[in-house]
Amino acid sequence: MYPATIEDYVRPATVVEALAALGRYEAGDALMLAGGQSAMQAVKTRLLRPRCIIDLQAVAELQGVSAGGDGVRIGPMTRYAALATEGSFNGAYQALNDAAARIGDRQVRNRGTIGGSLCWNYVAACLPPVALALGMEMELTGPNGSRTMSADDFIGGPLETAREDDEILVSLNLPAPAANSGSAYKKWGLVTDSLPVIGVAAMLSTDGSGACTSARVAIGGLGDGPRRSAAAESGLQGVSAGDGDGIAAALQAASDETETQSDMWADADYRKQLIRSLGAEVVASAFARAAN
Amino acid sequence: MAEKTSGKGWVGVDFKRKEDHRLTTGKGAFFGDISEPGMLYLVFVRAERAHAIIKNIDTSKAKALPGVVTVVTGADIKDEIRSMPQKVVVPALPARYPTHWPLAMEKVKFHGEAVAAVVARDKYTAEDAAELVEVTYEKDLPFVANAAMALAPGAPKVHDEWEDNQIFANVFTGGDTVEGQEENARKVDKIIKGAHAVIKETFRVHRCGMTPMEPRGALAKWDESDGLVAYVTTQRPHIDRLALADILDIPTEKVRVIAPRDQGGGFGVKAPFYREPILVCHLARQLGRPVKWQETRNEHLMVVSHERDQTHTVELAADKDGKFLALRTDGTCDCGDGCEGVYWGYLMSWLGGILFTNSYDLPNCDIRLRVAVTNKSALSPARSFGSYPTRFAIERAVDMMARKLGLDAGDVRRKNIIAELPHTTCTGAYYDSGDYLKVWDTLNEHLNVPKFRAEQKKALAEGRYIGIGFGTGVECSGMASEILVPMENQPGYGAASVRLDPRGKALVSFGDAAQGQGHETTISQVAAHEFGIHPDDIIVREGDTETTPFGSGTIGARTGSYIMSGVSTACRVLKDKMALIMAHDLALDAKPEDFEFVDGEIIYGKDSNIRKTFGEMAERIIMAPVNLPEGVEGGLEHTAFFEAPTRMMCFSIHAAFVEVTPETGQFKINRFVTCEDLGTLINPQIVEGQVQGGVVQGLSNAMFEQVVYDENGQCLTADFENYKLATAADMPNVEVTHSTTKCPHTPLGQRGLGEGIPGPVPGALSNAVCDALSPFGIEITELPLRPNMVWRLLQEAKQKQAAD
Amino acid sequence: MKTTVNITINGESYEETIPNRMLLVDFIREVAVQTGTHVGCTYEGVCGACTIQLDGEAVKSCLMLAVQADGHEIKTVEGLATNGELTPLQTAFNEHHALQCGYCTPGILMNMDEFLKKNPNPTEDEIRHGLVGNLCRCTGYAHIVDAVKDAAGK
Repeated sequence: MYPATIEDYVRPATVVEALAALGRYEAGDALMLAGGQSAMQAVKTRLLRPRCIIDLQAVAELQGVSAGGDGVRIGPMTRYAALATEGSFNGAYQALNDAAARIGDRQVRNRGTIGGSLCWNYVAACLPPVALALGMEMELTGPNGSRTMSADDFIGGPLETAREDDEILVSLNLPAPAANSGSAYKKWGLVTDSLPVIGVAAMLSTDGSGACTSARVAIGGLGDGPRRSAAAESGLQGVSAGDGDGIAAALQAASDETETQSDMWADADYRKQLIRSLGAEVVASAFARAAN
Repeated sequence: MAEKTSGKGWVGVDFKRKEDHRLTTGKGAFFGDISEPGMLYLVFVRAERAHAIIKNIDTSKAKALPGVVTVVTGADIKDEIRSMPQKVVVPALPARYPTHWPLAMEKVKFHGEAVAAVVARDKYTAEDAAELVEVTYEKDLPFVANAAMALAPGAPKVHDEWEDNQIFANVFTGGDTVEGQEENARKVDKIIKGAHAVIKETFRVHRCGMTPMEPRGALAKWDESDGLVAYVTTQRPHIDRLALADILDIPTEKVRVIAPRDQGGGFGVKAPFYREPILVCHLARQLGRPVKWQETRNEHLMVVSHERDQTHTVELAADKDGKFLALRTDGTCDCGDGCEGVYWGYLMSWLGGILFTNSYDLPNCDIRLRVAVTNKSALSPARSFGSYPTRFAIERAVDMMARKLGLDAGDVRRKNIIAELPHTTCTGAYYDSGDYLKVWDTLNEHLNVPKFRAEQKKALAEGRYIGIGFGTGVECSGMASEILVPMENQPGYGAASVRLDPRGKALVSFGDAAQGQGHETTISQVAAHEFGIHPDDIIVREGDTETTPFGSGTIGARTGSYIMSGVSTACRVLKDKMALIMAHDLALDAKPEDFEFVDGEIIYGKDSNIRKTFGEMAERIIMAPVNLPEGVEGGLEHTAFFEAPTRMMCFSIHAAFVEVTPETGQFKINRFVTCEDLGTLINPQIVEGQVQGGVVQGLSNAMFEQVVYDENGQCLTADFENYKLATAADMPNVEVTHSTTKCPHTPLGQRGLGEGIPGPVPGALSNAVCDALSPFGIEITELPLRPNMVWRLLQEAKQKQAAD
Repeated sequence: MKTTVNITINGESYEETIPNRMLLVDFIREVAVQTGTHVGCTYEGVCGACTIQLDGEAVKSCLMLAVQADGHEIKTVEGLATNGELTPLQTAFNEHHALQCGYCTPGILMNMDEFLKKNPNPTEDEIRHGLVGNLCRCTGYAHIVDAVKDAAGK
């Protein structure tokens, strides 16, 4: 119910200050707090017992969304509510709007952040599979400098990412999208907008005739963490929006390939059905957005 | 804002609630808002195992933490507090009543059972200290996981002193003797064997409950001269008072229980006499300082708010026209450890058995139930009180029978719904009044089912699957002493005190407790209606044992039926006195019925120029009690104890409309309509709110909620992430309609409602889904009803079709 | 272990030295003694009864540490009415019988007050979706939706 004793609370104004605060503690003793909608649950159950809370609310460098010729830069402290209504994503990156608009509830969306969600990487979370599908890049800064990596490398198993304990996620970058690109995200959970049983994100690019030239499909809600589906991605090559059978075959392959678990929310078989059904919806939506 | 009724009275008026101003401005007086100077905080240490023998509980580190006042274990309190059971909270039914204290002794029997308690000066410290209590176990015992396992011969025992795990069993039909029951069983067997059609199915309803938004709490303070004062989130302050007095050995005049003025929901969960308040009161006395325990949601979901969890094998026999001939059912209930005052985990399923046949005319039945203890927390009452699973079973059986006979489920229902009231069922349950067929016809007319059937056909042609399903519910309208005395050793009367002041304002008090039902408003309306004054001129108080007449509690829709009737009766006594004295004062040869009380005046019916204000008559009688009629004294205060001449029931029918997507098994409830026969409605808007809330609880129970234990007895659903409640976006609007026949046994013709509302819901919902998917022929026989299950049934049906 | 904070609640400034681990909802209820904001769940922050407005945005005060609110402005249900005059939303709740036990009500009022500022003309679906973060056990939500619809645009 109540957190364990917290020795220190700091509110840095810059990334440099935040790193300095991090550096004063051993790995795992300091917790960087973004929106807190997931982390505070863990702090209150005492699963996490940070000696220091580093509150990132005042670090201006971590905020803001900017879109330009060379792509989109999203500050990790961008709240879900802002992400949901961000207009610059257009069709290519609209999966971000889809996902952000339906995370949790509107109170959670006023507070939770994309950076927090990605660093927490809960198996059922919405944004990690979206990051994978969009080919997002993460920029991390630590005491030894900065590095950039793809979402494929950043996103790990449940609650794991490639971020070291002494690093801060400072930027999320998306390249300028190819022409005729569209993305979408849909999820299904027992109650509205709850952490889903399965979530599927897809991004497609098409050629002039509307045939798919590249696809990235990612699935969230799996026991081993979010992952891309190679079978779906290769299966969608050359497929067009009107080719229902082709889409269905690609998603059948995806559900065959993907290992799903049975738990109190759904059977493994049903999760596979959800991959197929949700997958068909997001692929159709991605095609439609690519065509606009 | 003062509304005039122009003589029409205050019954049937949507009077806006008095409670709302404080509740919408943050001035509610809930348990959590109450504090006493020097208050200490109590936190329970709860078992992390389901069934294990305790080796040692080391409290030394916890005790050493600065700010901790005491830490107690079962061993510490065993000789200090009497154990349960205590007679005042034991039903007069032949069940076993497990001995228990507020803390575990020797072994723990469920995940979450309290093993120790920490008392500290602040609540954060109390939690720190609770973490430092080290419980070691000598060994784990097998987890008794469900009723079937518990009742199997040679099963590990939950209560070591018992010979087996059966807490209660009953044969509800064939009378009280074994001979009579066996003879009845043979008769029913014969009818079933000779029937044209028989449905045999096992229906299973999962463990789920009510989870009010406010968990429980107890705050006690002790004073050597005044004794014990305990604030408890309870529906039954007077009962709690007696039980606390007996267990703690305090004379009753020195025990005062106060239910907070505002409580955040109850629905039955706050009706039992629980373990925790006993320990809180004991420690407050021992320490000489106030002690407060505030339940966390985590505790709540592990320890209380579990109900349903019943399995019923049902055989329903009918003739070729769909008339039911007989019903045989064998049921089991998993009631957890049963350690709970008043209800003992089993009482709900007992009442469910009594009302098993619901609204159907089934004179030939063989109804049996066995209730088992298991390594889970005891079931606590929930709205519908044992009838949620049985209604699911019988309403599904009705639809299955219709399908078997190739008849319309609605027609089969109408053919078998009890046609004439009063009616006594095969279990001896007495249904006093109403017109059930009129409710059915009214609802069907409103819904225009033939039109829906045409839409359904058209939708099917378009590849869409829509369906309609019905569920019925006969529910208790209050609990007569006739039932409550044997059931709970408690009276059923509705006692209400009405006191007028010299200005003609009224104070109405009664001994129950509100959890959101709007008592302050509806009771004001009743008194205002009787006296012809304004509801704002009346205040309503309940919940404090020191200042209210005895009440068994806010249970079983007692307020609407019994308390309101008690209020009405008391008002009429005072009105008669006022009329009598007015006639005497004016030398009129008149009787009380010659006077009309309206719009703040008392008017002589035979000459409307002869009138006095209500206030001036009150003043005359209270402040100037001279020249009174012979034998009449001054003062205007009366306590009435209302008991209806018979038990009373009310009736409703629910209809659900769904659309199902076979590809995923997902379904949407497009419409949900109820039809209620509540007799006179005091405040129709409040009635509508009650029905909407009860239906949504029923839907949420059916679709989303489930208490889950893993194979080691670990409760996996102890927070709202895992025990999921319906949100506004998941639920339909619930349309509430009425088909009214006045109740002949209450002064205003009103019936109480609230208790049974979720009962018809799972039947209606499941029947609608099955109706929508009837081309596939699936049958839903268990809850929760989730897309995964629907999808699986469809896959099985498709495979079967392919194989055939 | 402790930090001195300055938090404004309903226009009143509270300067207190508090434990870092104190939850914002406890600061509101116990330090500022504004008990209209309620706690209905443990650590999960799902029920929404603790919803308040932080710098004008509806957030769950049980999922925040009080120190995070240092230097910020909070509005709770006690701060909705001005000089005793209820907001259209509070009045609508009474008129539409949108509360029964009232435990979830403050959180809903604070959420919907902000929601209506951002969505002055919402559809029923939008209202229901906006209410996902507030659990209610008594009303079944229908009357709440009616009340919010009525208050919209007033």
